[in-house]
Amino acid sequence: MKILVYLKQVPHQDARLDVSGDGTWIKEENIKFEINSYDSYALEEALKIKDQDATSEVIVVSAGPERVVQALRQALGMGADRAIHVRDDSVDATDALGLAKTLANVAKAEKPDVIFMGFMSDDGNFAAIAPMVAELFGVPHATAVIALTRNGDTFIAERELEGGNLEVVELKAPCLIAVQTGINQVRYASLKGIMQAKKKPVDPKSAGDLGVAGQLAAKVAIEKIYVPAKSATAEILQGSADEIAEKLVAKIKELGLL
Amino acid sequence: MGNILVITELQRGKIREASYELLSFAKKIAAAKGHSVCSVVLGKDVAAEAEAFAKRSGGPVYTVANPVLENYNVDAYCTAIQAAVDKAKPELILVSHTPSGWDFAPRIAARLDAGFVSDCFNIDATGDLVFVRRVFGGKMDARVAVKSTPVVATFQPGATEACQDSAAGSVEALDVAIDAGALRTKFVEVKAPQAKGVDLTKAEIIVSGGRALGGADKFKEVIEPLAEALGGVVGASRPVVDAGWLPHERQVGSTGQVVSPKLYIAAGISGAIQHVVGMKGAQFIVAINKDPDAPIFEVASLGVVGDLFEIVPALTKAIKAAKG
Repeated sequence: MKILVYLKQVPHQDARLDVSGDGTWIKEENIKFEINSYDSYALEEALKIKDQDATSEVIVVSAGPERVVQALRQALGMGADRAIHVRDDSVDATDALGLAKTLANVAKAEKPDVIFMGFMSDDGNFAAIAPMVAELFGVPHATAVIALTRNGDTFIAERELEGGNLEVVELKAPCLIAVQTGINQVRYASLKGIMQAKKKPVDPKSAGDLGVAGQLAAKVAIEKIYVPAKSATAEILQGSADEIAEKLVAKIKELGLL
Repeated sequence: MGNILVITELQRGKIREASYELLSFAKKIAAAKGHSVCSVVLGKDVAAEAEAFAKRSGGPVYTVANPVLENYNVDAYCTAIQAAVDKAKPELILVSHTPSGWDFAPRIAARLDAGFVSDCFNIDATGDLVFVRRVFGGKMDARVAVKSTPVVATFQPGATEACQDSAAGSVEALDVAIDAGALRTKFVEVKAPQAKGVDLTKAEIIVSGGRALGGADKFKEVIEPLAEALGGVVGASRPVVDAGWLPHERQVGSTGQVVSPKLYIAAGISGAIQHVVGMKGAQFIVAINKDPDAPIFEVASLGVVGDLFEIVPALTKAIKAAKG
């Protein structure tokens, strides 16, 4: 199978977030980035297919500035075969639909049997790109997939619903699967893999290369981000660990639980 | 002026409360912008629910009735919604951010070449229309401005009150052909959750740990002894379960168990919405986190800003001492 995986590089989950000067995003200087958690599960799902069928090819694609090459190299180290780096300011500045148009054109050029993506991103939390790419590439999709089995070119996907229910759907390749976190156990890159990754190709592509130049005007845009006003704040206990523990014990006694 | 199209959602044959909440947002925007509200009800049997909705919505309520719409199917839904869009030619399409809504809404946006904004919890219609939503898992809020219409927007269920208006609306059935054989995603079944080995919903005391624990062994070393000392049970946030440190049955949150113990201790849990939904009903919440800005402190009754690896063992020791 030919498999395309879209990876987004996002601020590290423990990074300190400060609003940027223009107020529309966070300061990206001096913080660590990592592969979006959902996307690392998507990559693992692709690599599992390659484990079963060595003739499979896994292509990873990411859009963003130079820093995203690090995410692509990590994916290559884990076992992906080659990478596409969409590097264009107009892509970085567009909205979800603009990015989806760009990625759909990557798919149209590569013609994968299956596309794996994360269900959403840890930063924007939009959960928009996957169904959009599926629509624009003209294939069926399933979102929030927490279990997946494959029989030839047929996939059985279990979608997470509310209240612990699961919706089971069947779809045939070519298709797009947007995975939920926890669908698998994500592997680490081996030392050998990291060495091999250095020789694997990372192809840069511009909006022009992908046929989307001039089509990326954002239809919606973040005008401001801010730390939400606290609706209520807990009483914060002060003191040494032992002093705090004593205060908590007193409280738990007061609640009649000790 | 333009139209706002509300896409309602049936659950077990009834229109969900979330659809009436969408109606509240739609009416608020319509009042500010001089728009009109229309709606669509899609499902197998829709007539009675469409009548009920029309009595609160006013305006036209379109219906698409077809046996293939009994269970959610992305292709069938998109075909039905497209018919309502062709009829209403809306500037704005509102959808609930539910497992079906988040599945088809972006797809519809792409089909219509429309802007898309998801999981909104508020709007600001005082100037140019702005949607308000959370980003970074609840650490920040974002105001998203509309640059060009149409726009598809999804809303968090529970974000506003359900619309209780009395109005005189009309129901109009749309004749839509849906070829069941052409559906590319096939519905197989809905699986109900399996019986849990541990029922967190009945626990009086829950001690939960988050990603900050760093591994399964740390749960054993740090969290379990505290739960044991208190006679409580161990819970966890989603990242812990995703990483395989604890089984899914221990997960507290919107995709795990929704709990309401007398005491809930959250150690190293930042307080992402998905977790908070599952534990905010606890009578007393103690949050221990090294980040003073962690959203968990907003729902906590008592907070400790500090290292859980120091605080939790000290608390375990103090409880054992208190019990004698």
